[in-house]
Amino acid sequence: MTFQERIPWGYVAKRLLTFIPTLIGVTLLTFLIFHVVGGDPSYQLSGKNASLDQIKLIRKELGLDLTLTRQYLIFLKQTFTFNWGQSWSTRQNVNEMFLFGIGPSFFLAFPAFIASIFLSVLMGLFAAYIKSKKSWIDQTLTSTCLALMSISLLVYIISFQYYFAFYLGWFEINGWSFDWTQRWSYLTLPWLISLFVSLGPNTLLFRSTFLNEVHQNYVKTARSKGVSQIRIFTSHILKNSSVPIVTIIMMQIPYLLTGSLLLEAFFGIPGIGGLLIQAIQSADFPVIKAFTVMSTFIYLLFHLLTDLLYIFIDPRIELQDDN
Amino acid sequence: MIKYLITVLLISLFILSCTQTVTSHSNEVVSYLEANVATTDPIHSTNKYASTVSSSIFENLLHYHYLKRPIVLETQLAEEMPHISDDGLTYTIKIKRGVFFQDDPAFPNSKGRELIAQDFVYSWMRLADPKNKALGWWLLDGKIKGLNEWRNGSADYAKPIEGLKAIDQYTLQVILNKKSFQFLHVLAAPPLAVVAREVIKKYGDKINDHPVGTGPFKLKSWIRNFQLELVKNDKYHKTFYPKEGTIDSKKKGLLQDSGQTLPLSDKITIRIITERQPLWLSFLKGQVDHGIIPKDNYHQIFENKEIKTEIRKKGIRVLAQKRPDLVYISFNMEHPILGKNKKLRKAISSAIDKKQILKTFYNNRGLIAQGPIPPGLPDYDKTYTNPVSYNLEKAKQLMTEAGYPNGKNLPVFDYDLPGSATWSRQLGEFLKDQLSQIGVSIRIVPNTWPQFDQKVKAKKATLFDQAWVADYPDSENFLQLFYSKNISPGPNSFNFVNSDYDQMFEQFLSLPPSQKRFNLTQKMIKLLNDESPAVFLLHRLFKLPYHSWLKNYNEYPIIYDHLKYLRVDQHQKQKDLNKLKNG
Amino acid sequence: MTINFQLKQFKKSPLAFVGLIIILTYTIVVLLTLFKVLANDFDTTHMDAAYQAPNLLHPLGTDFMGRDVMSRALQGTKVAFGVGLFSATLATLIGVFLGSMAGYFSSWIDSFIVWLYTTIDSVPYILLLSAFAYSLGQGLENLYLALGLTGWVKLCRLVRAEFLKHKKQDYIQAAQALGVNPLTQIFRHILPNIIHLILIQFTLSFVFAIKAEVILSFLGLGVEPGTPSWGMMISDARVELTRGIWWNLLAASGFMFFLILSVNLLTDHLRSSLDPKEKSHTI
Repeated sequence: MTFQERIPWGYVAKRLLTFIPTLIGVTLLTFLIFHVVGGDPSYQLSGKNASLDQIKLIRKELGLDLTLTRQYLIFLKQTFTFNWGQSWSTRQNVNEMFLFGIGPSFFLAFPAFIASIFLSVLMGLFAAYIKSKKSWIDQTLTSTCLALMSISLLVYIISFQYYFAFYLGWFEINGWSFDWTQRWSYLTLPWLISLFVSLGPNTLLFRSTFLNEVHQNYVKTARSKGVSQIRIFTSHILKNSSVPIVTIIMMQIPYLLTGSLLLEAFFGIPGIGGLLIQAIQSADFPVIKAFTVMSTFIYLLFHLLTDLLYIFIDPRIELQDDN
Repeated sequence: MIKYLITVLLISLFILSCTQTVTSHSNEVVSYLEANVATTDPIHSTNKYASTVSSSIFENLLHYHYLKRPIVLETQLAEEMPHISDDGLTYTIKIKRGVFFQDDPAFPNSKGRELIAQDFVYSWMRLADPKNKALGWWLLDGKIKGLNEWRNGSADYAKPIEGLKAIDQYTLQVILNKKSFQFLHVLAAPPLAVVAREVIKKYGDKINDHPVGTGPFKLKSWIRNFQLELVKNDKYHKTFYPKEGTIDSKKKGLLQDSGQTLPLSDKITIRIITERQPLWLSFLKGQVDHGIIPKDNYHQIFENKEIKTEIRKKGIRVLAQKRPDLVYISFNMEHPILGKNKKLRKAISSAIDKKQILKTFYNNRGLIAQGPIPPGLPDYDKTYTNPVSYNLEKAKQLMTEAGYPNGKNLPVFDYDLPGSATWSRQLGEFLKDQLSQIGVSIRIVPNTWPQFDQKVKAKKATLFDQAWVADYPDSENFLQLFYSKNISPGPNSFNFVNSDYDQMFEQFLSLPPSQKRFNLTQKMIKLLNDESPAVFLLHRLFKLPYHSWLKNYNEYPIIYDHLKYLRVDQHQKQKDLNKLKNG
Repeated sequence: MTINFQLKQFKKSPLAFVGLIIILTYTIVVLLTLFKVLANDFDTTHMDAAYQAPNLLHPLGTDFMGRDVMSRALQGTKVAFGVGLFSATLATLIGVFLGSMAGYFSSWIDSFIVWLYTTIDSVPYILLLSAFAYSLGQGLENLYLALGLTGWVKLCRLVRAEFLKHKKQDYIQAAQALGVNPLTQIFRHILPNIIHLILIQFTLSFVFAIKAEVILSFLGLGVEPGTPSWGMMISDARVELTRGIWWNLLAASGFMFFLILSVNLLTDHLRSSLDPKEKSHTI
């Protein structure tokens, strides 16, 4: 049976259908929140020498003079056509803004993510392995991870930027290059920071995943057959943990592009996290709308993909409606 | 299949982000702006950020002399200064011949055509067209005969307007509704720059990405929130670096390029750096040619108001910029308590130590404001002091007289902050502490900019701090802040309504700068200080740092076409960069 | 699961014991500041004594208005405890309530609650949180609310899953057959079995809320300006650092580090002693 044939298409279709109520919920939530919170940007957009006349014209252009129901219906239509129109503050096509932002965000988030997963799987494996032999090493490692997790992201950013980029001058302080050969000098420091932030929780997560497996029967069997301890860990346990590992990875991906918001702001990286901060601060509703819907979509899609990947990894798994 | 998808996605992302490469330019200036540029369209260019870009691409009839201070108007696209009729209403303006628009596919054969007087008629109609919701419309609102009627009527471009026409190809005639001594300044304001109808027609609502003017630079690329690149317009009409300036222009090295053809550089990169700290750090590393000094870094550069020697040795220089501006705290005069109680407002005003604000938040860079008009503008009286000055004892006494001894029975007032900058929040904390001394308690409320503007313009704010930077160098621009016809959502955010003041202001408008106008202005200021609709805090003095490799740096608010005068000495830059790197 | 048992457990893990001691110390600090015994001068300004480096009078220096940084950091402990405890309690209450409802009464209640948390979970958290914070306005109480109202999803999911599991087990099947009141089943039978999970999730929420306060204060959405919170101090420090003023950052992040580390150590210990198999899904 090929992979394509193994995909339960009926199940996929059903799951895709459940996207609709969630999307409606998300749009409703975004819409409500925005209309309570966002403020009416037409006052600001009308400039410092505004007149009521001018404000009225702008409200009309933005569609803020329509009834709430109509405004919401427009939002729904945009959600299903993926046409968000122009940003209110930059007058740029929203989809274009995202296309521009995705590259930098990707370059900021992905390499650090992969490095973090790779390192933390290794460290988690090592900790689980060493626990029964020299538990103090495991304890030191665990405590280090906990310590790394006890520092605020903001403190990491402020102190690293000051010390490594400014004081020592090892990296660029801020900026971005569209020439990718020069880009690393801007990216190294934010990469390091996100590595520091994610290494702790990831290592602990993988460590406990592996420890979960230690008590399983197949480990005992392997041990009784005389398979070496190192081999049990690097081969048997790692292989059998593939489902939780994949879950952990897949569940983090949807947050990758939005997760580096502060990093983007501090390091001047023109990604989509910075777009969101700007959009919130300037009540740029088209961008906020696009952002929420897109991230919801990615979130739902990755949940579905994760479930589908299970079949790929472990053919015994059968998907049920209840996740 | 998923593997495929992911691979394709990855590759396309990779290509997407690699398509643009930076080429190093021999004569490139790297400038910065502290906020995102929202538009390149002149009709919306009403703040520094948009104006800096649009004034480099588009041009006006008049502009300000780059070096002379106090600043003076001179011709840009006009052949000579406008001829004004004896009744002060009709302006006849000859425009320069042989000025061409930048090349663009919108023109036949993609060759820019010659500028004609009709282009101004079109551009200003466009500014008035209600469909465009131009932010700069206020500049012309009510000024030109027939223009408001045209705007409120058909807004049909084929329909002639009495007060705005091209007499011949190179002559423009403007008729005003009433005398206005500010109109020449209006002609120099960025929204009145000239555009070409063909270009506007071709690009429609994508016009932001295709600014085509007569100016020294063309837009090469624009990545929102990140940077803009401007390149030299090779066909720019002959314009030269000024030959004269102030007495010390020569000493400051600002006259070395006198007579050179503008623009002096081939390329300008404008980086958008919204955070002050990264901007400062980038400046110290030489990644931008000029910058700002955040208040907390002042002492890194200065010692006893002088640049430190080791900083000077690294080639860092500082431009002192006396700004035509006013920083103030506004009272909403429609507030049921604050608006009705003059003594209470005066008590609050007297309880605020302006000197301390200057010291803590501005490193003593500035001048305590005695009234709304900053020094350097006409009608500024340097001998005058505000009777409502810092005096804690008097403030307490005023509280009693106001009927709230020690703040008894007084509710907590909201103090609204514009934006969430640390600096602005700290000022709020300081004020809270100051006012607690007389028993007035405030609650500091951070806002986003849209929230803040909405509160202020919908008259919902109570107490808030603001700054006004002159649109043009005339005291009228500050006095109009208190004119009753300008109340919220207009610039009179105090909602100050006073018929005596209005009368004097209207009289003011009819007067040319003169002793008579000066005397009238002093009366108006006295009235303002007595009513205290605002706490006048200070006029700022900026110390703008730049690297000495950047030549002719002389930035000034109101002057937005400054980029064409800038030049970088590459040789010196290489040398200085090494010094910066080595410590 | 008596206290005795736990104390014995602590002997095995001296680090967690140290963590417990530190948390107790912090608690004492909070009580002392609450009863105005300690750090009362946190709001006293001395404009002439702004930005003093650590000295005998001010062991951690002074800030831009000459306020004592040590006192502010101590007061910050109170703010942090408030934010952590109140919002974690709120999130826990909501999460447990909705989670058990969904898990126990399948049918449309379950569908609705699943829909609710999927919706909330799929909106980018920072957007959700800032939206709540903006709409509720400034102030400590509103910060508790914003963090509590947005922070319950993980726990809810967890509780629901546990309920589904327990419902299939014999003892609940039996209780149902006997017609035991659903509330009794939920509160007497199932909840006590998963109390450790809830406790662990509570401590995680506590830590999360304290960290979130820092970010929110930086974005201008946190506590009311003027409140001595660690987040405010860190955002002040951001601009002061290049000028060489490090004590604000050190004080706030140091106080925060030890508190969060202790809670983390304790949580880790709780997890391994209460949940011997070390479930992976709790982080």
